Amino acid sequence: MWLTHHRNSATCLAKLVKLLGNATVTDKAVGASLVGFSLLLFTYYSIWVIVLPFVDADHVLHQYFLPREYTVILPGVAALVVLLCIGAFVGAVMLKNRKPKKVD
Amino acid sequence: MTKLLEWVFGVSVLGAAWAFVTFDILKMSIPRPYREVAWPMPLYLLVTFGCYSLATVGYRVATFNDCDDAAKELQAQIIEAREDLRKKGLKF
Repeated sequence: MWLTHHRNSATCLAKLVKLLGNATVTDKAVGASLVGFSLLLFTYYSIWVIVLPFVDADHVLHQYFLPREYTVILPGVAALVVLLCIGAFVGAVMLKNRKPKKVD
Repeated sequence: MTKLLEWVFGVSVLGAAWAFVTFDILKMSIPRPYREVAWPMPLYLLVTFGCYSLATVGYRVATFNDCDDAAKELQAQIIEAREDLRKKGLKF
């Protein structure tokens, strides 16, 4: 029983080590896009919340930004969506790992 | 004063300051643009923290280094372990 378990771990480990060696280009691309997206989001949101109230109502900058109510609605909706995704993921994993009941 | 108490105290002071400015409790007649900036502040700090977390995760993913030597050593050790177990009778 112990020997079978050890053999499975050895093959799994070998596969994992092979996988880790080839993923750097995708990793860099994904990481860079995450950083870029969060910078963009932060800049847009900061201008929207902090800069716009001090800018005259007839300035051309206002047409690039949504009405001010959305500063609250959009993050709220995004948080709900994130929570739903996390819940769905946890639910899916739990469903997948159900053990069938033993038959007597 | 425990850490929890310190944090709770700090958060309540900031929360009270925010409430006084947003709901105009003391009738301080703060100019309108400053009140417009103040009322979404808690949400803005939350969004900032989220962006910072996302940026940190992205940066660490992009700069995660391979350890080629360790990988080769590990694969050699796996082969060694397999041979050892084969000698002891386990069939692969």
